[in-house]
Amino acid sequence: MDELASRQYPVQEHMAFQRRMWIVQRIGWVMLGVISLAALFGLFGYGVLSKRTATGAEMSVEYERFERATRLASFVFRFAASANAERRLHLNRAFQEGFEISSIQPPPLRSSVDADGIDLTFAVTPSVANQIVIWARPHRYGTVGIDARVDDTPPVELRVFIYP
Amino acid sequence: MDSVIKACVVYFVLWAIIRISGRRTLGEMTAFDFILFLIIGGSTQRAITGEDYSLTNALILVATFVGIEVTLSFIELKSPMLRRVLNSSPTLLVENGSPMRYRMRRARVTEDNILEAARRLHGLERMDQIKFAILEPTGKITIVPMS
Repeated sequence: MDELASRQYPVQEHMAFQRRMWIVQRIGWVMLGVISLAALFGLFGYGVLSKRTATGAEMSVEYERFERATRLASFVFRFAASANAERRLHLNRAFQEGFEISSIQPPPLRSSVDADGIDLTFAVTPSVANQIVIWARPHRYGTVGIDARVDDTPPVELRVFIYP
Repeated sequence: MDSVIKACVVYFVLWAIIRISGRRTLGEMTAFDFILFLIIGGSTQRAITGEDYSLTNALILVATFVGIEVTLSFIELKSPMLRRVLNSSPTLLVENGSPMRYRMRRARVTEDNILEAARRLHGLERMDQIKFAILEPTGKITIVPMS
């Protein structure tokens, strides 16, 4: 009995096509496994492949390289110790357009806007390291290049890819 | 605009995943399969509607889904090849009482599955009473008894 031959009776078979489909199915199962593994390691956010720390002269930022639209994302800003009692965090327009801020901990003393983004001024304790956390929801798909700057130091660049 | 795109993406991704999983999954639904489909439905539903619970969005989604269905049914009428790609084609699993092991293994159907269908549909007890067992595109097993 040749199982690979197509029968015409009782039904019209297409065994060549059917065998190709069986192969495609097996490839598909492998792909499903790969997707799950990639997700486990954080290729779609929240894992070892996604966690990033960007470091500048006066500040380091902890964030996720991969985010998902509408899922709450956190940005942890650590300011180096300084003599000032106030520090100004500047975030560029890409952040303003890509993210909807849900909460800022602690809340800033003042916020203002300028030509290329938003300014948040925080009360900080002088001569110790201070930490600010911004929780925000991404509302745009694709890569967002965020520039974060504390006072007038050079900006720290954060590149975030947002999945739909 | 993005509701229509989301609906199309979800339709085709779900189609691809269910097609990849093999037709066994759809045809003979176990209690666990039922739960699985509830979960699939629940998690995709929120991805499509997002935070937009408006009547307009619901209407757009329903119109898009029904539109895709109608369009695909027309395409299937025109092209038998696409019909096979979209829905698969029937495959013989038992011929004149002898099970076709290679095909059964590939389709992940066991002898027990075939005998169960034979009992249920025709009250048959043994493999040699089955003339043909056919795995249909719907995932169901059809039995033609020996005359």
